[in-house]
Amino acid sequence: MAKSGSPMLLQGTLDLLIMHALQRGPLHGYSIAQTIHLLSDQALKVEEGSLYPALYRLELDGAIAAHWGVSENNRKAKYYEITKRGKKLLAAEQRTWSRLSLAVQRVLARQP
Amino acid sequence: MRSLFLRLRRRRSMERDVETELAFHRDMAAAHGNPTPMGNTTVVQEQARDLWRFTFLENLWRDIVYGARNLRRSPALVIAALLSLGLGIGINTGIFSMAVEFLLSEPSIADARSVVLVKFGGNSHAKKEVVEFVRASGLFQDVVGENEENYINWNDGAETRQIFAVELTKNYFSALGVPIAYGRGILPQDPDEVVVLGNRFWRSRLRGDPAVVGRAIRLNGRPYTVVGVLPTDYRSPIGFGYSPDVFVPRYQDDTILAIYARLRPGMTVAQARAGLAAVARRLDQAIPEAFRYADGIHVAAVGGMDRIKSETEMQTVGLFFAMLLMVVGLVLTIACVNVASLLLARGSARRQELAIRLALGAGRGRLVQQLLVESALLSLAGVAFGLMLRQAMAAAVEQFDLPVPIPIRLHLTLDWRITVYAMLLAVFTTLACGLLPAWRSIRHSIAPSLHREGRMRLQRALVIAQLALSMIVLTAGFLFLRNLWRSNAISPGFDVRHTIYADVNLPPGAYKEVARQRNYVAQALRELTALPGIQAGAGARVIPFNQVTRFMIGLELTGTGRKVRAFFYWNAVTADYFRAMGIPIERGRTFLTGADAAMLPVIVNRTFAQQYLADRDPLGRTFLWGDIKTPYVVVGIAGVTKNFSLGEEDQPQLYEDLARLDRGSTRVEFVASSATPPATQLQAVRAALRRVEPNAGLEVATLYSSIGLAFLPSQAGAALLGSMGVLGLMLAAIGLYGVMVYSVSRRTREIGVRLALGADRRDIAFMVLESAVKLILIGSAAGLLCAFFLVKPLAMFLVPGLRPSDPVSFLAVAALLAVTGLAAAWGPARRAAAVDPMTSLRYE
Repeated sequence: MAKSGSPMLLQGTLDLLIMHALQRGPLHGYSIAQTIHLLSDQALKVEEGSLYPALYRLELDGAIAAHWGVSENNRKAKYYEITKRGKKLLAAEQRTWSRLSLAVQRVLARQP
Repeated sequence: MRSLFLRLRRRRSMERDVETELAFHRDMAAAHGNPTPMGNTTVVQEQARDLWRFTFLENLWRDIVYGARNLRRSPALVIAALLSLGLGIGINTGIFSMAVEFLLSEPSIADARSVVLVKFGGNSHAKKEVVEFVRASGLFQDVVGENEENYINWNDGAETRQIFAVELTKNYFSALGVPIAYGRGILPQDPDEVVVLGNRFWRSRLRGDPAVVGRAIRLNGRPYTVVGVLPTDYRSPIGFGYSPDVFVPRYQDDTILAIYARLRPGMTVAQARAGLAAVARRLDQAIPEAFRYADGIHVAAVGGMDRIKSETEMQTVGLFFAMLLMVVGLVLTIACVNVASLLLARGSARRQELAIRLALGAGRGRLVQQLLVESALLSLAGVAFGLMLRQAMAAAVEQFDLPVPIPIRLHLTLDWRITVYAMLLAVFTTLACGLLPAWRSIRHSIAPSLHREGRMRLQRALVIAQLALSMIVLTAGFLFLRNLWRSNAISPGFDVRHTIYADVNLPPGAYKEVARQRNYVAQALRELTALPGIQAGAGARVIPFNQVTRFMIGLELTGTGRKVRAFFYWNAVTADYFRAMGIPIERGRTFLTGADAAMLPVIVNRTFAQQYLADRDPLGRTFLWGDIKTPYVVVGIAGVTKNFSLGEEDQPQLYEDLARLDRGSTRVEFVASSATPPATQLQAVRAALRRVEPNAGLEVATLYSSIGLAFLPSQAGAALLGSMGVLGLMLAAIGLYGVMVYSVSRRTREIGVRLALGADRRDIAFMVLESAVKLILIGSAAGLLCAFFLVKPLAMFLVPGLRPSDPVSFLAVAALLAVTGLAAAWGPARRAAAVDPMTSLRYE
């Protein structure tokens, strides 16, 4: 999912990150990638080859909606926006994720 | 739904949109000084396409088009597959349709599920008063009575004929809601002389003229107004395709009726049974009988699974069909295996194509899907062809009168059950034909080194399976063939070959008194026996195999005062009956005229004497029958005869003297033995009887033809299973032939080398035959083993004395299989021997 060198994204977590990034408001694809990049302290780099398929999938699932708009530099760009269904999905996946990461941390923090 | 809508809306603009979006992304990245992503636009587009398009469906469609194009290139394969699968599926759906019609069809009445058949005291029929009593009790919404096995005389203006009539209570049509094609049903307020016509009768005898409604036809010498005609697909409550000629209000005072009742809304069968128990107790008070109504109360559904559960004969029929379906299923499997071997051989030819596609990155699942689509196409074509065959079969069955003495018309409609079954068969054949070859092709494409030996081993295994399967089918078929021979050889205990019988239905109005009926019988016998070539003639009430009357009654033996509860077949005959039928009187004598008037003479058969009169010499024994005051005396002991089926055990039987019977009947039977072939006498007998009473309904036939019904189960079983066995064997032989031809062509080079090194041509032929023999031996052994266990349950359909595990059947079938198999291998073996070493070595 991410390029070698930077940490690998776990399967499914990209969807979570995208929906999280969209909580602030409608964004186009590039700024979604940038937001994730910045929020992760530049640790995660989302490549277009994984970003766009994920966006299309989420759109088909009804978690996000898309519409064409005009970007900050006056170009035609596709904006994505989280839907009600997406918000519910996000909340659920966030809980799952925190449980999982907490569990993984706990395991790693203790001596076997 | 939403995503489907999105997909439909976006499909068109998708490609352009993705391009624009990605271009924007790159420009933004460049503007922000990030390195331009190396990503591949095409990959993203492809992934998006996979998401947005109906990938699966589109691939499927492409596979179908590709598969169809591929199949068109090998018409021989298609024709072979179409024929074998179509035949197999046609037979399977045909048998299944029959099973559905016999077992699950509902009678043509409105809301058949709320109608039940009611029996009291273990009797199938009851007096008219009983029907009225149950109706008046108010337990049910409505109660009707009908007697489906009656005859009425119909005069078409020139000739009087006996036709099948259903006598019914006048509320029958309205209470049951029977659908009518023309006119209306009989109504309670109608007069007695109205008639509803059966569709078959209306079409064959009245030229199917709808204008007949409102006109009159002559029944029993009186005009009956036609009020309605039943539709073609009418199904009577007793089922089995019984299609009577006319439906008339009850016209004989002593006709007993089967009782059908419609449950009140929300009433369960259990509630009805409980209510009937109370009604029966009151019936026992109101209409006292020798039996008790409250004993053996029976409430049963008139159709569907509930009927099967409540009637044992339905269960036997069900088992018979289950057996047939299994056998035809095996035949279909053999056919599938043939198609599978064809596809296997073809798969080897396509190995290269598949290898290339795999190398280019085609998913293995996709390739299997594509190969399966091809076999699915073949299967669907097979189903279409098979259903066409089924339709033709159904049309033939509908047109054709079965060779039985009662009118049977089967309506094998193509309903959803048949269609679903056909679709299930299509799935089965697709997997059975396609899965193995598809899997093989893919594996071989990956590991080409394995292919040679491996494939032959698989094809050999398939042929062995085929041989084993056909062995099972053949064994079942052969058993039924032997059953047929055996039942032909079974003597019913009387002379079938030389006997003529006549079934006479006297006009009831003119023959009310018993004396007049007796008079007629005497006169008719005088005319009959005066005919040249007729050796003996007799009157009777019952002709064995055509009708049965059984009694279960208490007999009090006057000598010892012992009481026995006797259960026996009954008949009333004139003195010469035993001579005419060729039944031996083993002891004593037949009836005499002018014998002791204080006693009623009877003749019993050996079994009766052994079962009920064994404590003393049965001859001359006297007994009292129920509460009849006049004592009966045994004057003779007769040989044992079969009554209803050839397979039945010996049953007790009692004959009364017809000349002294005071229970009258306008229906009289005659038998006559003829010195010449009985078929040549029919005309003379008919004319003689016609002279005595021109207005009587008359049916004259050889006894052999009417007993045909008794042979029907074993004949039908033998014909069906025998032909299935032969079909299966042929298919297996074709499969064996194919494998041998293939293996010889594969070994041409080896054979060439052997010949060049000096091998004898005969040895080469033997070598090929030997490999065939090996297959046949393994196949027969496996088949024998399976057949031994699988045919065991068939015992219930066979005549006594014929065991399914009889080694004769197995040996005969194994021999047949061996001969056919060798014949199939003979051609390839000769071809192998004829190989030219020079050509074969130069080849490759």
